[in-house]
Amino acid sequence: MSAIPNTVQIKKHHSQTSLTHMACPECDLLQAIPPLAVGESVLCLRCGKSLYTHHKNSIDRSLAFAITGLILYIIANMFPLLSLKALGLTQDSTLISTALALFQADRPFLSVVMLLTTIIFPATTLIGTIYILIQVKTNTTDAFTAPLFRFLQSTDAWGMLEIFMLAMLVAIVKLGDVADVIFGVSLYAFVLLILSLTLLSASLDPHDVWNKLREKKG
Amino acid sequence: MNLKTARQADLIACHFCDTLNQVPNIDETANAKQEYYCSCCQSEIHSRIPNSLSTTWALLISAIILYIPANTLPIMTVVMWGDGQPDTIMSGVFHLLDSGMWPLALLIFVASIFIPVLKLIILTGLLLSVYFKTHWKPRDRTVLYRITEFVGRWSMVDIFVIGILVSLVQFGNTASVSAGIGALSFAAVVILTMFAAHSFDPRLIWDVIDDERLVQHQFQQVNKT
Repeated sequence: MSAIPNTVQIKKHHSQTSLTHMACPECDLLQAIPPLAVGESVLCLRCGKSLYTHHKNSIDRSLAFAITGLILYIIANMFPLLSLKALGLTQDSTLISTALALFQADRPFLSVVMLLTTIIFPATTLIGTIYILIQVKTNTTDAFTAPLFRFLQSTDAWGMLEIFMLAMLVAIVKLGDVADVIFGVSLYAFVLLILSLTLLSASLDPHDVWNKLREKKG
Repeated sequence: MNLKTARQADLIACHFCDTLNQVPNIDETANAKQEYYCSCCQSEIHSRIPNSLSTTWALLISAIILYIPANTLPIMTVVMWGDGQPDTIMSGVFHLLDSGMWPLALLIFVASIFIPVLKLIILTGLLLSVYFKTHWKPRDRTVLYRITEFVGRWSMVDIFVIGILVSLVQFGNTASVSAGIGALSFAAVVILTMFAAHSFDPRLIWDVIDDERLVQHQFQQVNKT
């Protein structure tokens, strides 16, 4: 067990790029962060909260997943996700039409929630992450990088595409009884998009970006 | 154990980048005029989330009140051949059970009834436990908090199902789906509880224990000299 880090030590560590000490965000316990091998993570000594994980090639991999995700996101929004065929009529639905249909059905609040959680926040997450990771890679971070990354971190929980996918599954099974449900082109792109978003969040530890920013500050 | 918390060491960890900032004599009482900013990312930093308990209580109580219309008012109406039956969350689950789709019924039950109720109960329990300064299993309470924060957003699944059905089933009088006012309140419950979980500061669970340990430690040192 490490000794209590005194304030002088902390000050010295400030000039270093990565954190040598961390306070657990859930129980505030101050603890030393040992150097980690790839794939290892540090858990809080007291409450078990995961503090930091060392991912392999974190920045490069995350950038790859984010770019893949953005391409898939565009495809997923271009064509219908699902179509319903009944009585000789076909009704298509895309991500945007789902939000708009709620607006037309006199539920503007639900429409705005859908718009934010399934269209806007996933888009800002993908575009913002790509922008920041490119800045980090080319060493061109500026004054807006930190506020933008803070914005991305705080809106992370509000992108709900994976929940939308579960909802589509439920809708497919529900409607499958009474009408023909046709899978649209975008549905396949959408499933792959969920996969790349999951891989993105699994490969990027925010500390990797902050360490780079701290390094630049000196 | 001679470990300290960041606050006892006069440090404030940044909420976003975890940089430890040196702040001698942290004063976060209501009339403190001092605001602190992170040396790395320039965000405003707090040793504890300001007004955590009152904010969480306010959001939680609003959610509990809205939970009543969310369950009693219809969340959607399916009109088939001009004939419509409004469904509440619970009657929707029973309909699914009647038509033999029990895995779906289970999924909707867990996401729309079990998780929101569990979340409301856990948050109330956590707030009360902090209020009464109990020492009861702090680690387990932190894990409960972590689960609540992680699992809450999945309750949105029912709202999304309604959205998809409304946009897909638009065949005029033959078949159409409309979203009811219950869906609105339910979405509000989910969003409010997400904000409530976010504004609750789990470090408050540990503060009671840490503060007493510090007092004991100082007492022992005084006795030695």
